[in-house]
Amino acid sequence: MTPDGSILAGEGLYKTYGHTSALDGADFSVHPGEVVAVMGPSGSGKSTLLHCLAGIVRPDSGSVRYDGRELTTLPDAERSALRRTDFGFVFQFGQLVPELTCLENVALPLRLNGTKRKAAEATAREWLARLEVDDIHGKRPGEVSGGQGQRVAVARALAGRPRVLFADEPTGALDSLNGERVLTLLTDAARDTRAAVVLVTHEPRVAAYSDREITVRDGRVRESLAGL
Amino acid sequence: MTTLLGTRPTGSRSGRPPHGPPGGPAAWLRDLAMGARFAVTGGREGWFRTALSAIGVGIGVAVLLLACSAPTVLDAWHGREKARENLGQLHEPRASDRTVRYAQADTTFHGEPVRGRLVRPDGAHPPVPPGIKRLPGPGEMVVSPALRELLAEPGSAQLRARLDYKVVGTIGDNGLLGPRELTFVAGLDDRSAGEAYRISRFGKLFDPQPPSARLVLLTVLACVVLLMPVVVFIGTAVRFGGDRREARLAALRLVGADIPTTRRIAAGEAVVGAVLGLAAGLLFFLTGRQAVGAVTLWGVNVFPADVVPSPGLAALVAVLVPAASVLVTLFAQRSVTAEPLGVVRNRPVARRRLGWRLALPLTGLTLLLSLAWDPQAVVDDWFHVVRLALGAALLLLGVTALLPWLVEAVVARLRGGPVPWQLAVRRLQLNSGAAQRAVGGITVAVAGAIAIHMVFTTYQAGYAQAYEESARRPVIQLSGGTSDGQGTRDALATLRRAPGVTWAHGTVRASAAPAGDRGTRDPDGYRSVRTAMVTVGDCAELRRKARIGSCRDGDVFVTENRGDRATDPAFVRPGVRLNLNPPEGYEVTGPPRPWTVPDSARRVQGIRHPGEDLPGDVLATPGALSPARLQDPTMELVVGYDKAREAEAVERIRTVAFRVNPGLRELSAIDNPHDRQYDGVRTALFLGAVIVLLLIGAGLIVSTVEQLRERRRLLSVLDAFGTRRATVGWSLLWQTAIPVALGLALAVTAGIGLGTVLLTLSGAEVHLDGAVIAGIAGSAAGVVLLVTLLSLPPLWRMMRPDGLRTE
Repeated sequence: MTPDGSILAGEGLYKTYGHTSALDGADFSVHPGEVVAVMGPSGSGKSTLLHCLAGIVRPDSGSVRYDGRELTTLPDAERSALRRTDFGFVFQFGQLVPELTCLENVALPLRLNGTKRKAAEATAREWLARLEVDDIHGKRPGEVSGGQGQRVAVARALAGRPRVLFADEPTGALDSLNGERVLTLLTDAARDTRAAVVLVTHEPRVAAYSDREITVRDGRVRESLAGL
Repeated sequence: MTTLLGTRPTGSRSGRPPHGPPGGPAAWLRDLAMGARFAVTGGREGWFRTALSAIGVGIGVAVLLLACSAPTVLDAWHGREKARENLGQLHEPRASDRTVRYAQADTTFHGEPVRGRLVRPDGAHPPVPPGIKRLPGPGEMVVSPALRELLAEPGSAQLRARLDYKVVGTIGDNGLLGPRELTFVAGLDDRSAGEAYRISRFGKLFDPQPPSARLVLLTVLACVVLLMPVVVFIGTAVRFGGDRREARLAALRLVGADIPTTRRIAAGEAVVGAVLGLAAGLLFFLTGRQAVGAVTLWGVNVFPADVVPSPGLAALVAVLVPAASVLVTLFAQRSVTAEPLGVVRNRPVARRRLGWRLALPLTGLTLLLSLAWDPQAVVDDWFHVVRLALGAALLLLGVTALLPWLVEAVVARLRGGPVPWQLAVRRLQLNSGAAQRAVGGITVAVAGAIAIHMVFTTYQAGYAQAYEESARRPVIQLSGGTSDGQGTRDALATLRRAPGVTWAHGTVRASAAPAGDRGTRDPDGYRSVRTAMVTVGDCAELRRKARIGSCRDGDVFVTENRGDRATDPAFVRPGVRLNLNPPEGYEVTGPPRPWTVPDSARRVQGIRHPGEDLPGDVLATPGALSPARLQDPTMELVVGYDKAREAEAVERIRTVAFRVNPGLRELSAIDNPHDRQYDGVRTALFLGAVIVLLLIGAGLIVSTVEQLRERRRLLSVLDAFGTRRATVGWSLLWQTAIPVALGLALAVTAGIGLGTVLLTLSGAEVHLDGAVIAGIAGSAAGVVLLVTLLSLPPLWRMMRPDGLRTE
């Protein structure tokens, strides 16, 4: 935990891709159980901020502290281990392994963490039920609808009981009805488990599910608003 | 209206809209051209895919062109041999200005055969063999470039001592079979006068014997087995980058192309890859054949210039490869429908059917077994050769057809296991097409290699048995012309002084016929007669040949057991009159030379020494029969040696023997030619199998990398939630290893089956070389590892977070 009580905090984050600056001194923090919406137009640096905070991408400069540990100086293997054990991820599309069944997809992070197959699949089953997609557990991702697939992805992200859940446009590929259902399930489940949620979106409708909103513009966190 | 396919009228004159895109040859050509344009206008990535196909097809084409060159290579090789030899001369010409005395003086140096010919012109205008400007005089020789190099090497002291002639020239290429051939032509001197015969021209008069059933069997099998993986590989190579192409076809559907149009476009794209492959293949072939001169296989070394594809076969390749590429592409499209919103794989809901897959190998097996009644028929009748080739091809093709069924059946039953295993198995359960296609090539190649190997191992076992006994004994047996017994005694005395020689024995022998027997003449004019073998030597020498007991000069013995000689000359007995100038051959020279086996001749038991010739039917001491009375007598020398005393004993004996008489032939099996031949075959098969495995490996790498690129985003997601790279790496390994392992199991079974059938139908005992099977299986495992290792860097690259970016 950082001095201000946040579980994850980024400070003065800079990141460029070639000659394009993606982050230009961005600051960010999130507290346990808090849902923060990261908003901004396309290309503003939202996803890059998420990647830096999750330890997926190392920023060119700046600091990312998680639970008192500096992520930017951790070796790749330790950052990977952290992502396996403490973080969960939901992306817009293309995140489920097409060959595995929905049940196996949800059990995958647990199994990667060393949980035995039966135990991992039992937990996965519980999460599928919680996300109301238990009936499709034996189907492959290609055989289910986009909304069902996204719920499976949320179940997978939460099955490992992460302390921080990163969601990058989790409803971007869904219709509004499905999107709302997914968001409700995601935020409810995260709040139940006291997981912090970093929710990247460009839709105010999605941001409405957060406790707090920040806006990224030209690689900087421009403003911070209280959630609705 | 402007469409994807160009500009066409918006409707008919009546105002009705057109019924669809234009059809007919014009549409075909336009769509093929569009596909061709796609093949070369896809930017760097497009070029990469086309180049990969071209290289893959090119490698296959190069191998096919090499195979197409086999007839011309053999023709050229036989032509060169025919032009410089003089075998089959029926009548010795009279000495004239245009004749030459000619003798063979072959030798061996450290296992390498050195062809030697001795010449002495009778006049000023002798015939000259190709590659030589003038015949060398006494004490001179002309040598091949390879022999010149060998003679100059520090380790060739014995060879220099043996070929103690002054080098006065180099034999030109047209006088050689290949650039690495070791050969010389030297001046004939008196030492070999007994070996020489007179000729008036160079150039063989008859063609070689028709090939044996075994050779035909092996050649047909080798062609089928070696070319089938190449064909399978070409089929795989034209589909490199197939997934990307299919995605593009879906985009074309979105802008209005119908399904036949997309198929024609795909065919056009495939043709470009195939045509570029033909060009690349020609380039690889022309580059690769330069290396041919450095390779000696089965004692055959050829000039690169002789490796020219047969025009008809080359034209066939030029037509069939593009045609096959189109067919393969269209066949692949059968299971895929490019829809406007993406590619739909028409995965068969039903399991793959086993029936027709089993029918192929069973038909092949039936064809092969139907030949079992008469393997020799293969030589006599092309219909049977075709049946053999078809049988082997169907059996091997059947293996390729069975593989997808086997992989599907086995993989469907696999459950559980660690995450990498699960990922791999699930992937194979969903779509194992690319891996199966690639592994199909491995299966055919390995099955074929094992079958050929089994046949060779068995034949070799037969040779080995024959040579084993003599090869184990440190003995060299020499044979050469002589005019009297003194030459033999002198030769023995010289050989006994050679370093490393422990003992030496020698006799003079010749043939004899029953007196008055004129024999029979065959339609070609060749006269045959019953003969017995007469051996002349002093008592000490004869004691080695038979249990003669007491002996003194003037004694004669008749052997009772003549070993395993096929025609036992029962006419030999004490008191019988023999003709020492048997009327044999096309021409009988000189009058009969009668000699009577004395009544006092004792019957004795002959002694057969392992690896040596039979003792002879009549054993005579010089006092009873002078060697000078024999017609064309030969001296038979047996020399024992001890390598512990002299490491170079064999080479020293050869050198001494050559200096005694360059025409002395070595009869023993010090360097079993079949061993060397077998080693060559073994190495060639192994190399061939490894090269095919590497080719298939290259195909596997391409399909793996393509698959990884297709899954770039998924890999980035896996990395995001902390998946270890090793986990994905292992899953890649299993994904390749499972089909390869199944393919190998099938290949070993089919290979052993095919080998057993072939050996059974040639009436041979079945021998298995476990080491080779293990070696080939090990190489396949190595290829799997190599494919995985080479796929890891792109895997690591694609596991980077870049794949998560959507903007």
